[in-house]
Order: sequence, then structure tokens, then C-alpha cells
Amino acid sequence: MTENNHEIREIVIPGEILTEDKSFIPGRGAIRQGDRIISIYIGLKEVRGKYINVVPLRGKYRPEIGDKVIGKIVDITSVKWRVDINAKDTGILKPRDAIDVYDKRSQRGRKKSSRELEAEAMKMYELGDMLIANVVSVDRVSDPVLTTVGESLGKIDEGTIIGIDVPKIPRIIGKKGSMIKLLKDLTTCRLFIAKNGLVWVKGATSEYEKLCIEAIRKIEREAHTTGLTDRINYYIQEKKKERGLK
Amino acid sequence: MDTPQVISTVQRKYILDLLKQGKRMDGRGFLDFREVRIDDDLIPKAEGSASVHLGDSFIITGIKYDVGTPFPDSPDEGVATCMAEFIPFASPMFESGPPDVEAVEVARVVDRGIRHGDCIEYKKLCIKAGELVYILFIDMYVMNHAGNLIDTGAISSMTALLTTKLPTAKIEDGKAVWNGGYMLVPINQIPLSVTFGRIQDYVFVDPVIDEELVLDGRVSFAVNEKGQICSMQKSGEITWTEEELIKYSKIAVEKVNELRNKLNLRQYVPKL
Amino acid sequence: MTILIPEEYPKKLIDKNGKRLDGRALDELRPFSCKIGVLANADGSAYVEHGKNKIYAGVYGPREVHPRHLARPDRGIIRVDYRMTTFSVHERKSPAPNRREREISKIIEDALAPTLFLELYPNSAIEVYVQVIAADGGTRCASTTAASLALADAGLPLKSLVAAVAAGKADGEIILDLGDLEDKAGTADVPAAVRMIDEEFTLLQFDGEMTPEEFEKSIKLIKKGAREIFAKQTAAIKEKFDTVRKETEEENKKIEKLVPPEEKITHASGTKEEEKAGEEKSDKAEEIKEEKEDPSDTKEEEKKPKKEKEEKKSEENK
Repeated sequence: MTENNHEIREIVIPGEILTEDKSFIPGRGAIRQGDRIISIYIGLKEVRGKYINVVPLRGKYRPEIGDKVIGKIVDITSVKWRVDINAKDTGILKPRDAIDVYDKRSQRGRKKSSRELEAEAMKMYELGDMLIANVVSVDRVSDPVLTTVGESLGKIDEGTIIGIDVPKIPRIIGKKGSMIKLLKDLTTCRLFIAKNGLVWVKGATSEYEKLCIEAIRKIEREAHTTGLTDRINYYIQEKKKERGLK
Repeated sequence: MDTPQVISTVQRKYILDLLKQGKRMDGRGFLDFREVRIDDDLIPKAEGSASVHLGDSFIITGIKYDVGTPFPDSPDEGVATCMAEFIPFASPMFESGPPDVEAVEVARVVDRGIRHGDCIEYKKLCIKAGELVYILFIDMYVMNHAGNLIDTGAISSMTALLTTKLPTAKIEDGKAVWNGGYMLVPINQIPLSVTFGRIQDYVFVDPVIDEELVLDGRVSFAVNEKGQICSMQKSGEITWTEEELIKYSKIAVEKVNELRNKLNLRQYVPKL
Repeated sequence: MTILIPEEYPKKLIDKNGKRLDGRALDELRPFSCKIGVLANADGSAYVEHGKNKIYAGVYGPREVHPRHLARPDRGIIRVDYRMTTFSVHERKSPAPNRREREISKIIEDALAPTLFLELYPNSAIEVYVQVIAADGGTRCASTTAASLALADAGLPLKSLVAAVAAGKADGEIILDLGDLEDKAGTADVPAAVRMIDEEFTLLQFDGEMTPEEFEKSIKLIKKGAREIFAKQTAAIKEKFDTVRKETEEENKKIEKLVPPEEKITHASGTKEEEKAGEEKSDKAEEIKEEKEDPSDTKEEEKKPKKEKEEKKSEENK
């Protein structure tokens, strides 16, 4: 759903015929039905070379390996956490994926037993904690496995988190990150847009955070339109004037 | 399972930090209600109905009636009863099944507000003393849960009651028979409610769902037009001091009067 | 017991000019309108007014199945809960679900399943909640129409929308889209739902008496009605997005007038230098990464055809 100022893409609905030209191949969001290619979503029709895609406008998050997600600890046992990642299944976080403990040595130089380390690691997150995690494995039979070991991963301890429509994430990021940069520059907020449709926002004051969230809501609502970057720029500037924000 | 009910620690901290600065997450002041939107008389087969949005909280209430025997201790008075049902699409937290404790609480608190404080003139809902009276069913359906269902339910129930037209009856062979006319529900007082949410020492009205999920507790007051308190409900595992309760009961009277004036619910009374 | 208000039951449902009680022609639908995205919390939602029926549908899912034993390891399940409000009908309905509501829930499940790719959601459920706020004959059809829209609004992949309407028989004539009185006083009622992509039937019930010839006529009438409803479903969805588009085009014009093109915000164009500068300014590593990663979305979309294979496969398997 990247921005293209010259092309207004058609809104299509499930079952709508996208083409009857046999030289096209159904891409994302489209299937072949006899001689025709039809849409399976409410979305934007998009032709890319031989492929016809439909970019959906709403939809649930489906985890993929390597996704950075924002999750919430919803259950703790002695050996693992369960993390709500805004998907069909809850994620699993095991102590050895929570903290890089296996290199640490106790004061005596003895390597701690893995049981000791696990017990130690299990103290890291409490029920209700929000964290940024990486999806390390996904398959159809078991729950997605997460890790918080890695740069910029781990517990979120400030700011606020809002939910957005997952298919609209690319629009909130913009072409080459232009939209997210605009949001950050104009609202002076820090932002993290996770793949599972949760957005972390932290600004100098709540007024800036509110403005940033309002701008994100506007992008979400107008994701299927053109000229969005200019409009968002204008919108934020105007609101800032109105509200006396720098 | 009930994942949304696990309270996010960072969200609680965020809301609390804002409260410390005298602010709320949606920019409202501590004593501001969200916007109210009312559609009246939308259900042809209900005697009265209203659809009310308080922010994104959304309740549809319909009024049905029955003719039945009065309670022995009030033989010349009609009866009104409230029910609330959470439709599962209203929140990912709800599941299909019998009404849960929260729905029962909404119904009970709204019910008490209407039952007392001279809201309905029950004597005028009597067809024949000791034998036949009107029984009103005030049925609330929660369509979308975005916090503070008690106050949303109160506005919705009162609007629905005000829009209600009941067929009037004469007695023939001991039975109530339609006499060709209609009557309004005799309403003397319009009680509405205000709910205060509390986190630590911070108290504010009309909590939105994100606030509601992290509250320590809340207290609701229903107040009639005479400025009398006609129902209260404290919930949550916290305590309130005498001074606090006195303070908030006074604020409640002011807030409800303000809300009632703003909504002007009598505009929805139909012409007979 | 309520006070009985005598209703004039007309002797004839169709007058000598071939017009029905509400003035409709024999093959004419009642007024129909619909809207998607009407409930803030649900994953998908829709509102339908069909005649005086007023119906909300909301969707959650795919999500975990409760109770667990209903889950199927090879595919997802669809669960529909069709309910009527107590005040939707003349005589107050008991709030407890009854057998009729259970049966209708079941037939709506079966009506929607042939439009879903359930094999994509093993061990999960797609839950559809339908609430009839006002009833006026034909609620199961209007509910099916609403539920299908809600599924589409949720962004679930669908083979097609379904549109539902009843045909029936009154005063010896085959009629489309029975109203409340025609439903009660008529001689036959055939509610049906049509999967619009191939016009196959996904819901069918029958109550009354008809000859096979009359049934044939009914089924043709149902298809005609379904096409008309489908046209309105389609228009309502497209209109929702077109309205926003029109609004934004106005705004675009306004902004263009205000801001000469050369003064337009520089970072909107996102040149490389600016991006680098932005990265240096950033105080958090994750933010830089995010910016780097995200342009890859374009690439990802090109890869997508492969990813969507499973969806295609499932269709081929059919």
C-alpha cells in the first residue's frame, strides 16, 4: 500500500472479477476461478507486471519469522511466559529466549546451572508487562515462539500503545520511511510500529502524543487515497498552530 | 483466553503519569463527559426505544410492557424492571452465555436509579388496583463497550422510557381491553448517573475503557432533578473516606444536572 | 399478557392490479440499505436494514476455540450466534436463547462456510454474532446478508459475498421478499442465500406448499432479488471508501492552493540524504531499524504471490 500519486487504485470486493485476461497471474489477495481472476478481499486492486494483487484494507496479524512485535505477558508458569501478540495464537517466551544468561558466570566462576539461570530469567517479566519481541519460529501446529534477546528488544516501560489495522502499516511507514519520519519530525514523538499492528508512541508531553495518534488515525482512515503525505503534513502543522504547540 | 483483561503495566503507568499532571489520555478534564449521541424511537415494535453513544460506548434500549398483577404490598402501582445484556460483538472480552456479573450490575444500578427518586409515577401505571397493572421491561443491549456502561445505560434507559407510548385499557369481563388510546409513561423525575473512576488518589468522571481496565475502583451516583441522590454503587477493592464520599456526592449532583440540561431528554417525548 | 390491539388482517395480500399490501410489485424487493464498519471493537461489522428489519452483525477471529473440544485440527470452524432482542418483536421475547435462534444460527453457519477458506485456520474459530434489533419478516435472510458483509469487513479472505432473500406464495402468486404479513398469511415461504460468484445456493429452507413449477419460479426470483441486494452491498462498500477519497481530494486541492509546489515539505519526498540525517538524529536503535526495514515492504509485496500459495492451493483443492 505504498503511495503513488498518479494512480488511483480501484476498490474491489470479494468475488469481484479482476481480469479475464489469461496472461495475468493471481498474486496476493487474488485467486484464479476458471478463466477469471477474482479478488478475495475488500481492498485495492494493483497490477504489478504479470501479477494482479489485491491489497486488503483490514485483517488480522499472522506471525512470520523475523517479525518485530509488541506483546503483553498474559500468563506465567515456572518455565515460560505466554504473550498476547494480537494474533490468533498467543506467543511463547521461554527464559532462555528472554535474557542472554548463558554466558554469565557466577562470582565463583562456576557456570550456573541452567535451572538457576531459568529461575533468574523468569523474574524478568511480570504479568501485564509489554515488550518488543522477535518472532523466531512459526508453524501451523504450535504457538509462535518469541525472543527478547537482541538489540532494542525487551520490556517497554514508558509511553503508550495503540492498535492499528495491520494492512495499513506500510502506509504509516510510507515510501522509504517518509511518513514515519514526517510523524516523528513534526510531532517530536518517538515511534515504534510493530508488525502486529501495535504502535508505541512516546512524546515530550501528552499533547504531542495525542497529536501523533490523531495523525496516525487519519492515515489509517485515508490509507487508500493519494496525496496523503502532504495532507498529513498540513494537518499536523494546522493542529499545532491551533493548539499552540511548537 | 481472557487476554484483554490482563492489565498492561505500561498502560497503567501512562494513565497514572498523565493523571499526576492533571491530564487524561483523550485530552478531557477530570470532570468532563465524553460526547453523547442519541437516536430515539428506532424500533417499530418496541413501545419505546433509544440508541445512545457515549463516546464509543453504545447501548440500544427498548421498552416492552406486559399487563399483570401488582405486588401485594403495592396493589395500585405498576412495575418497571431493567435487564442488560452484553452482546458478544461489543467487546473481545465478552463471550456468549448467561449475563455476567458486570451486566447484572449495570442493570441493577440503572434499575435502582429508576425505581427510586420519584422517577416513574407508578400509581398511574395501574389499570385496576390489586388486579391489573403495567409491567415495563427496560431491556438494554450493549452494542459496543468502550467504558462506563452504567452512565450510558442510564441515558439510554431514560431516553427510551421518555419515548414510550403505551396503549391504554378499559376493563371488560375482568380483562384489559384496548380503549383506542395511548399514554406516555408518567415520568416525574429524570434520574441520570455519573460514575467516578479512581486510580490511587486521582478521581475522574466517565472513565474510557483503557482507564476502566486499570482503575482501582469506582463509585456511581444517580441523581434526580430535585438534586437528590437516588442510587449509589461502589465497586473495586478499595476504600473511600467519609470526606471523599461527601465531596463526590456533591460533585455528582452538579455533574448530573449539567448533563441533564445539556441532553434535554424531554425533547424526545412523542406527541400523542 | 399485553393489551390486544386489533390488527386489520387484510383478506387479500395482492390487489387486482397485482400490487402488494405495501404497494410493491410481485417481484420487487423491500427498501434495502447496508453499511460496514459500524461497531468500534469488533474485527469486522455490518448493519443491514431490509424492510423494517434492523440487524447488526459483528465478527471476531480467527481466534481460539472455546470449549477446546470443538476445535478441529485440520480446519477452522465458523460459529454463528443469531439472537433477537426482547423488543424486536410484538410480544416481548424471552431473553434466553430459544430453539428457533439455535436453528437459524446453524443454517447461517452453513450459508457462510462455503465462502470462507476454513482450511487456513486449523484449531481456530471465526465467530459471527448477529443481533436482530427490529424484526419484520425475513430476519434469517437479512442476518445472512449482514453476516457476509461483516466477514468481508473483517478482512477475512472470502470467495464471494452472499446475498439472501426469500420468495414465497400468496394469493396464488409467486412473490419476492416476503414482508411480515405475507410471511404469516401467505401459503409458502422459501428463504435462501446465494453465493454471488457462481450464484449457487448456500441457504435454503421451505415452509408451505408449492408445485415444482412454482418452486422453479421462486428460485429464479430469489436469484434476481439476490443480484439486486448484491449490487447494493457492493455499492455500500465502495461508497464508504469513495466518500473518504472525495473528501481527501478536496483537501488536496485546498493544500495545493495554499502551498506552492516548491515549498512542499521536503521530507515528504524522502531523499537519501535526509533519511541519513534522520537516522543520525534518532536516539533509539530500534527506530533506525524500523525505517530501514520498512521500505522492504515493496519487495515483500512482490514476494507475496508465493506466500499466498496456500490460499490458492486451498481453492484448487476444492
